[in-house]
Amino acid sequence: MTGRISAWAYAAGVLLVTGCGIAAAMALRPGFAATVRQVTGLEPARIAAPDSFYTVRVAPLFDRHCAGCHGARAAKGQLRLDSFAAVWRGGRHGDVLGKDGELYRRITLPQSDEKAMPPDGKPPLSKDELTVIRLWLADGARGDVPAATVKDAPRLVLPVTIPQMNPQDVARQRAPLADELARLQKRYPGLIAYESLASADLQVNAMLAGKRFGDADLQALLPLAARIVRLDLSGTAVTDAAPLSGLRAVTHLRLAGTGLTGAVAPALDGMAALKVLTVTGTNIAPESLAGLRRRGVTIHGEGDDGA
Amino acid sequence: MKDPRLLLTDLSRIQAQTRRHFLGWGTGGLGAFFLNAAMTEDARADGPQTLNFARDPATPLSVLPPPFRARAKRVIYLHMGGAPSQLDLFDYKPVLARFHGHDCPQSFLKGKRFAFISGIPKLLGPQFPFRQAGRNGTWISDRMPHLERRLDELCLVKSMKTDQFNHAPAQLLVHTGDPRTGHASLGSWVTYGLGSENQNLPGFIVLVSSGGITANAGKPLWGSGFLPSVYQGVQCRSAGEPVLYLDNPKDVSRAQRRQVLDAVDEINRQTHVQFGNPETVARIAQYEMAFRMQLEASDAMDIRRESPAVLERYGAEPGKTSYANNCLVARRLAERGVRFIQLYHWGWDSHGTPTDEGVNVGLVNRCRETDQPTAALLADLKARGLLEDTLVVWGGEFGRTPMWENRGGQEMAFIGRDHHPSAFTIWMAGGGVKAGLVHGQTDDMGYEIVQDPVEVRDLHATMLYLLGFDHQALKYPYQGLDQKLTGVKPARIIPQLLA
Repeated sequence: MTGRISAWAYAAGVLLVTGCGIAAAMALRPGFAATVRQVTGLEPARIAAPDSFYTVRVAPLFDRHCAGCHGARAAKGQLRLDSFAAVWRGGRHGDVLGKDGELYRRITLPQSDEKAMPPDGKPPLSKDELTVIRLWLADGARGDVPAATVKDAPRLVLPVTIPQMNPQDVARQRAPLADELARLQKRYPGLIAYESLASADLQVNAMLAGKRFGDADLQALLPLAARIVRLDLSGTAVTDAAPLSGLRAVTHLRLAGTGLTGAVAPALDGMAALKVLTVTGTNIAPESLAGLRRRGVTIHGEGDDGA
Repeated sequence: MKDPRLLLTDLSRIQAQTRRHFLGWGTGGLGAFFLNAAMTEDARADGPQTLNFARDPATPLSVLPPPFRARAKRVIYLHMGGAPSQLDLFDYKPVLARFHGHDCPQSFLKGKRFAFISGIPKLLGPQFPFRQAGRNGTWISDRMPHLERRLDELCLVKSMKTDQFNHAPAQLLVHTGDPRTGHASLGSWVTYGLGSENQNLPGFIVLVSSGGITANAGKPLWGSGFLPSVYQGVQCRSAGEPVLYLDNPKDVSRAQRRQVLDAVDEINRQTHVQFGNPETVARIAQYEMAFRMQLEASDAMDIRRESPAVLERYGAEPGKTSYANNCLVARRLAERGVRFIQLYHWGWDSHGTPTDEGVNVGLVNRCRETDQPTAALLADLKARGLLEDTLVVWGGEFGRTPMWENRGGQEMAFIGRDHHPSAFTIWMAGGGVKAGLVHGQTDDMGYEIVQDPVEVRDLHATMLYLLGFDHQALKYPYQGLDQKLTGVKPARIIPQLLA
């Protein structure tokens, strides 16, 4: 017996088995069915607009709370929530959307309910987050409604991002004053420091030197004036003649417990960048600081807000 | 041929290097070496930066700039040991008041573990009248009338939660990020990361009131854990000598003390030459700091130098040990550039067993002891322009139940509440936090959080962020793991709390 079948019959057999396989997969996995329908053009591909309420407000919530288990790594219940198309595709039991759909029901169950999502003591969605999802579902779970037009949505709270720094940039910004700084840091150990690793700005803490620090020392620091943003002269021996107006970059200045008087006001007026000034325990009369107050400088220690 | 005597000294030196030396050294020496190697790698890699905390061992507290701009330069942490009742102070629950005296619903008890409650307890409404105050009409009980006037400065978090329901582990969690001993405390991490401005005072100072009772977990709360020991908190006293054994013994002059120190330093230096252990240099540095502290510490701690008006505002009385005195000292230390100032006031454990643990007695007393000084501290910091860059934190280790504690199924003699890890209130003020904010919400009974839960590690991550740190980057290699204050579980910086 030869047992041979014709090439045509073989090909037909393979096609039949493949077809049955695809049909079975489509019946069992709605996600796959949707992909097939989209690939074959039976259904339009679902894509959300980049400025849509879905992309801006809803998708980040799915990413944060759901996509760990309902995403590329694991699609529990055959549900994926990591793309607009997948969200529309639904899970094992089909569609999860709708105002009273499975998705909203599960994320609003009390945490003690074993069907509650996210499960296992993971933090539930906050009230505001639930509101965002409810608004989106109520409007038909669309991907083309611009985020800006949804007026009732709670204020967007963006997660805090850690400022990234580029060491080369920082080094470049620091270079012009680096030698001068090194010299002065040697002369005034511990008093001058960079504001942060990511910055070329300096803070001067003359308070630590106390009465040993006077006008001449402040004069000595002037070469760094372009970069000194915070200056603490509390308890130092500086006088009204101190070269303060030369410190054009200082935003925060502390003069607490110095012997300064109202005569220092013109010098302070000359400090263009000044935003916060502390004059506690000085003889600087409040009226001499009127100009600064008009400029919007916050002044501490002139009134009796300690009472 | 080598001189045999030389060989002998070599041999004794090698023998002196025990396994313990090698291992202890490994974390500082080898660890630092690897850290350095890792640094060059990470400069190009994504993910949290690797920071270099290496310092000259002679100046372990020298200032290091934070990785990014800090909103807070120093911290005053007011720890209310024993866990104050949020339901009688900040978290106002009129619905709970309506159900006062009713049996606690079964749904509250199912699957819950309590420290003492058993059977079916009764619900316990707020024990004091609440009123609205501040610009935003924030609710606060009448037990804190002074703080009420500072409400606009506060950032209240009503949705703190913890997973510990006994004092010591819960306190350890709040202070070190872990419920077991052996981890570095917040203050240690911060002084390790930033150093301290004033080299004549410790960078991390601890002040204890409440009759010397620290807190249940004791001194590990300000321990340095796996971090080098120079970063542990230094407990100071607000009455008598601020630091024990700091003053010279009777009839010993400062010059004589200097001579003794010079001799000790010389011996230590020889030891260092012989064994090369950086901890020896740290020891020399500690002696030198103690010598400088003789002058500076007594001045910093001496509240007699304050005007009578200031003393009265705080309710401080020189010569006593009190929370009020400690608050005033805290301000003096903040002014002098101390990085981390930690206050402890124990006694908030209102179970209702003895009188002083009643919500109606003990809590009232604790409020009387702390309300005025706390408010005065905030006002004083503000007036001196220090609140801008000082982060003040107030809080206990967990919350208290909306149920009247019924220890062993019995009715209690006094009004009390059991431990409640699922919700409690803390507040922050100053350095970069949003003033006048109430964050998070509990349900109508004050039992569970219904909005914006904040884990202890989230609070820590937020505090470190305010100090200029990514909590993922402030780390220390120990036991094969990059140890972090926030541990291994994901921690979140809470954006709403930031100004």
